[in-house]
Amino acid sequence: MTSKLADHITTLPSRREPPYNPALLLDDEGKAKLAEKIGDADNYDLVQLREMVQTDPDNVEFKKALISGIASAEYAGVDAFSRKVCQWQDWDVPWSLIMAIARQTWDEVRHAQLATGVLESYGGYIGEYPDTLAGGAPPPAVTGGAGVGVPEGIMNDPVITLSAVNVSLEGGALRLFEETSKLGERIGDDLLEECYDYNWADEVTHAMIGDYFVKALCEDNPEAERKALRAHGMFEFARTRLGDEQTQELKEFFAEEIGRATTALGGQTSNGSYH
Amino acid sequence: MQPTIVKIDLQRCINCSLCRRACPTEAINFFSTGHRTHIVEPKDCIGCDLCVQVCPVDCIHEDTDYVVDPGELAIAREKARAWAKRQHWIKVQRQQRATAAIGAVSARNGGGSNGRHA
Repeated sequence: MTSKLADHITTLPSRREPPYNPALLLDDEGKAKLAEKIGDADNYDLVQLREMVQTDPDNVEFKKALISGIASAEYAGVDAFSRKVCQWQDWDVPWSLIMAIARQTWDEVRHAQLATGVLESYGGYIGEYPDTLAGGAPPPAVTGGAGVGVPEGIMNDPVITLSAVNVSLEGGALRLFEETSKLGERIGDDLLEECYDYNWADEVTHAMIGDYFVKALCEDNPEAERKALRAHGMFEFARTRLGDEQTQELKEFFAEEIGRATTALGGQTSNGSYH
Repeated sequence: MQPTIVKIDLQRCINCSLCRRACPTEAINFFSTGHRTHIVEPKDCIGCDLCVQVCPVDCIHEDTDYVVDPGELAIAREKARAWAKRQHWIKVQRQQRATAAIGAVSARNGGGSNGRHA
């Protein structure tokens, strides 16, 4: 009896050389080193770093930090999507979905290459700055349960993965890449401008792939569509710039979901009692 | 002059939510539609065109059938003004942090290279 890779891939850790160094797990010394380069460890945030590059385009450390943060997510994308190509082969999903995810994995490889190239053009290297994501494996396999990887469960259901990652998360990446490309244009950095315009185009395709297959997998299946909405909503909640009414819309959506779940459980509440 | 209200072509929409994130009046609903569909609430739309500009698949178009109510439009414009103020405040905060970071790095380097290219 042979053991297939797909059978134990969830327990395989994410590895990279140099090893991942998650920003969330930095000790005081690590934070101090980061602060020396970018003023404050809390500035290690892609939106804030864009503002800093815009304010001082000659500061190469700000640029290296920005691209390091993006590159880290690209390496995580390679890891996460390649796992799905392997895992989903035995699942009841269209073969064309597997092909689309294989294509997406290759896109992420190219994005990682491009980010590494841009970083090197600034004199930087992978591992110089901490990682915003630590690969694509579930957290325990990478960090001993520190919770900086991809949340468990997200990668184990095609509808959830596609809705949460391809549509919601990659939809957000569209803005990141567009803004980074515009930043390159504003500061006269052609490489930055063109690289992230290129990445942006790929992200549109990734969101399209996700939306197309979520629709296909949820066709005539309202429960699956609700599941897709819940997955999208969980990622939407993680956004920092939700408006008041958007927050309210999400709250009402999840309140309704809880109501549906309660009804489905026959009125059983979370503490195990009955109405 | 009356603004041109927009609507989303659901056949072409990829649900990326960029329009929702760009809308200054939060006029675009998703989770309350009951399905995975982005729908413009026309009474909240001020025709600012921001959603049209960010849509990666050009699926947002004029809704020429909708008749704008001046009272609703005035309320929506007020929301947009409040949104613009919030955005400006966020931008100012980021700029201040950026300036502080430049100052901190410069001070640590003793006013030296400050991370600049040689």
